[in-house]
Amino acid sequence: MRNLINFLLKHSSWIVFIIYAVLCCLLLFGRNPYQRSVYFSSANRVAVVVYDLQSEVTNYLGLRKANRELQLRNGELEMEVINLKAQLNSYRAAAGADTIPFDSVLHDYDFVVARVVNNSVAQINNYITIDKGRAEGVAQGMGVVDQNGVVGIINVVGEHHAVAISVLNPKLRLSCKVKGSDYFGSLVWDAVDPHYAVLEEMPRHVEFAPGDTIITSGYSSVFPEGLMVGVVSDYKKQRDDNFYALRVALSPDFGCLGFVRIISNSQKEEQERLEKEARYE
Amino acid sequence: MNSWLRFLLLFVVMVFLQVTVGNSIHLFGVAIPFLYIYFIVRLPLSLSTNWTMTVAFLLGLTIDVFCNTPGMNALSCVIVAALRKWLLKLYTPRVEDYAEVEPSIRNFGLSLYVRYTLTLSFCFCLTLFLVESLSFFDAGRLALRVFSSTILTFLVILGMDSLTKSGREKRS
Repeated sequence: MRNLINFLLKHSSWIVFIIYAVLCCLLLFGRNPYQRSVYFSSANRVAVVVYDLQSEVTNYLGLRKANRELQLRNGELEMEVINLKAQLNSYRAAAGADTIPFDSVLHDYDFVVARVVNNSVAQINNYITIDKGRAEGVAQGMGVVDQNGVVGIINVVGEHHAVAISVLNPKLRLSCKVKGSDYFGSLVWDAVDPHYAVLEEMPRHVEFAPGDTIITSGYSSVFPEGLMVGVVSDYKKQRDDNFYALRVALSPDFGCLGFVRIISNSQKEEQERLEKEARYE
Repeated sequence: MNSWLRFLLLFVVMVFLQVTVGNSIHLFGVAIPFLYIYFIVRLPLSLSTNWTMTVAFLLGLTIDVFCNTPGMNALSCVIVAALRKWLLKLYTPRVEDYAEVEPSIRNFGLSLYVRYTLTLSFCFCLTLFLVESLSFFDAGRLALRVFSSTILTFLVILGMDSLTKSGREKRS
């Protein structure tokens, strides 16, 4: 017994080291990242105080750019509304009033505006912390967009803050398609440049050209169809030759995210339940 | 000032600086300054290795909480803390001379301090980026990130050390 105690004392630093190393590895690999507790994320109480403080200071720096982008986007949307109104009127005139169905696709979606309090682009697994949480109706799995396009998906939710997995994170795969076609692939970040991501598994016969717009496909219940993701900048054949990998210039500037919208889908639960049932059949 | 209190303050300041300033710097898109390991570098050598590792673990975990990377910084910090005394033994034959001091340029002399800090920064960056690349491996980029971050971390630590009281006293 005494020998054992002596042995332990003599090698105590090895034992302490091993204990800590094992503890770290448990933290690193033990949990499913989607079920991580809020206390171990940047949405915990102390972390958000620091990040709120920081964003109070730094938010002003990006305002000019954000404002210009919003004005541009606002202008575009205004034009679109005018066009759509004109189209609607012409259809009404042609088909007679009251027969145009209510646009039910977009009606299911609602959004919450939040401020980005922390954001990283330098790591491989990047996350975004925002200042809206459960109390404001944010829940896990909701989509996050800014004025330029898709930014991420909510991962951990605290009372008044939440953490989203950024598009700049290889754990996130986004179902996207080239605007104007119905073939879809999955967009994933290759951890090199925060301005570019790769759209994989695009069938070879799909027609596209550099400069084409990439939008969300709407096949997952997170994002509605047609949200801007980026622009094709380059493409190459994938290993098995039947697919193309498209290099996509992402439209949001992840270096200076200011305000984002969190999209909630009231039909999401039903859609997911149905998909689950269909899988078990 | 009481040395416990001084190190507690250093802990808080280092975490705050790393989270608000350090993590938002990525020079040329690759180099990140991990300035908070200055705390581990600075801990007095009279502190036993077990306690050094414990404090380093807590420090790493605190940073992890802020960065959403549970375990990653903590593991690197514990490894750096464990290597600290062993490295010093490797670099100087007269390790007893330094048994009671706080590592700093003044106490170590520039040459030993540079070797000590540079090696610790390298070990830290190597483990951190190796663990990070478990989810996505790219050897060339990994090497680039490790080397550039090591240099940047080392320079920042050197700068911070010359700003402290002991560093100023030496110059005057």
